[in-house]
Amino acid sequence: MSSAQIEIQLIASLVAIACAIPGTFLVLRKMALITDAISHSILPGIVIGFFITHDLSSPLLIIMAAASGVLTVVLVEFIQKTGLVKEDTAIGLVFPALFSIGIILIAQNANDIHLDIDAVLLGELAFAPFDRLILGRTDVGPKSLWIIGTILLITLGLLFTFFKELKVSTFDAGLASALGLSPVVMHYGLMTVSSITTVGAFDAVGAILVIALMIAPAATAYLLTNDLKKMLVLAVLFGVGSAISGYWFAHALDTSISGSMTTVLGLVFLLVYLFAPNKGLFSVLYRQKQQRIEVSLLTFLLHLGNHQEEKERHVKHLNEHINWQKVRSKSVLDLALKNNMITIDHNIVSLTKKGKNFTTEAIDYIVTNKNSEIEHMKDRFFLFRG
Amino acid sequence: MKDKIAVQIDDLTVAYNYKPVLWDIDLAIPEGVLMAIVGPNGAGKSTLIKSILDIIKPIAGSIQIYGKPYKKQRSLVAYVPQKGSVDWDFPTTALDVVMMGTYGSLGWIKRPGQKEKKAALEALEKVGMLAFKNRQISQLSGGQQQRIFLARALVQNAAIYFMDEPFQGVDATTEKAIINILKELRKSGKTVIVVHHDLQTVPEYFDWVTFLNVKKIATGPVKDIFNDDNLTKTYGINYKVSVQQ
Repeated sequence: MSSAQIEIQLIASLVAIACAIPGTFLVLRKMALITDAISHSILPGIVIGFFITHDLSSPLLIIMAAASGVLTVVLVEFIQKTGLVKEDTAIGLVFPALFSIGIILIAQNANDIHLDIDAVLLGELAFAPFDRLILGRTDVGPKSLWIIGTILLITLGLLFTFFKELKVSTFDAGLASALGLSPVVMHYGLMTVSSITTVGAFDAVGAILVIALMIAPAATAYLLTNDLKKMLVLAVLFGVGSAISGYWFAHALDTSISGSMTTVLGLVFLLVYLFAPNKGLFSVLYRQKQQRIEVSLLTFLLHLGNHQEEKERHVKHLNEHINWQKVRSKSVLDLALKNNMITIDHNIVSLTKKGKNFTTEAIDYIVTNKNSEIEHMKDRFFLFRG
Repeated sequence: MKDKIAVQIDDLTVAYNYKPVLWDIDLAIPEGVLMAIVGPNGAGKSTLIKSILDIIKPIAGSIQIYGKPYKKQRSLVAYVPQKGSVDWDFPTTALDVVMMGTYGSLGWIKRPGQKEKKAALEALEKVGMLAFKNRQISQLSGGQQQRIFLARALVQNAAIYFMDEPFQGVDATTEKAIINILKELRKSGKTVIVVHHDLQTVPEYFDWVTFLNVKKIATGPVKDIFNDDNLTKTYGINYKVSVQQ
């Protein structure tokens, strides 16, 4: 690996971490769409900042961009508060307006700036190592590495300082407000950090793909854990992992780095969406199937409990009486046998003591809805979970 | 005789987009009562609580908690919002939600430690939810979620408790458990204010009641003012309750 390659991966990783942290809270606040808006509407801020400083890496650009990001949020909320349109419509009204102002400003002054719309939208990570930060006469590394590094440090500092406040205002803004932990400050703080991060990630991945880095890792992590801290850690890991493997993917195919990174993010999400242990699609389908069988099992046991006469308890009669197909009858019988709830003697099915107890308990639960009584059954049967 | 006033509200008007939802409310809630706020949908019951807690800014009027504005008395007040106001799929556990009740006394930045955890576990025990402390909150039933919210308020160890429809969507067992805890709170001298929907249970559960429908209709002891006259004034229709007093 050349030093440029290492630098590119380092920048990509820092961008991924810096995006995953605010992204996690945005996903939990159901505000994913606002990142889309911010990522576009920071453009006029950047352009105006550039007019003033004529330097693409000036801190003023970041400040102006963050300001126009926050302005987006303020405008969206203002339009929404009129009660005339819903939030998604308000977002759809605000960001194209701001974005187009940015485009017009660029187009009008295209002669004397090298702010290229493609680079704004897609970024060009491969060029990042060429723009060096020179202190005195020493080359201390790529400028974008320093920019995103600084942003990441600030983000981490804020996260550790205000973790508790962020958590409570995200979960229950009413309580946070009553406790005096101003959810409004947290809201705008998060919006400011998101805007600043978007600008910082801008060089690396561009305005559009930064959305993927904010939302996809958090959405993936959300499917895998029930703990906010773990969700943050997982989001960071997914972000960095996708960034680095995306880079090598692009290297192998000789294609766009940001495009590959985003593709990897999408693929990772798809895999987790399908195979996640609890919330994944297959796991949900399996659970539903299992639940269906267990409901059948209970129906069957109840039937046995209610009928002493042998003809009602004959294996063959199951199909006719409970009106089940062969496969279902067999899987229900197997499950009951495996759990020692029935015995089969000359094709006549009888309830065991365990089967009797189980049926009474289960029916009791279903009728009275008393949770504590079936806590011990939950581990064995899906029927009683969630 | 109940002399001390826990919550004093004068000339309170609250509006959304300049449409008043609460109109010139005067209300004095004495210390140590278990009070129901009743009224039809859209009467401003939740808004009244949110205004007292400074979550919604009124356009006129003043609210005092033991003679001082809410901002100076936060530590005296605990709040149970409507269960539906939060996202129960949030990645956190029952214990963690209860711990959030301690965030107010901790103030900004400081993290909860062993002391807060102990208080949260005690509160969970009081509401009979200790066994569920590590359960993800979406895995709890509606009644259990309501108990968690109650535990979160208990952990605040306040003087005044505000609860927004704590009996909504809970089973009879949980309702009994909750009302017993509320009665215990009153017994220990706390003031408990509950937005309530089920008029039948008002005389059994509460000793004080406020009728609200944008304007205040009446407030006072249940035995004196919980009658057809006030119910009719509040609900608009000719109300006849078959409530045994």
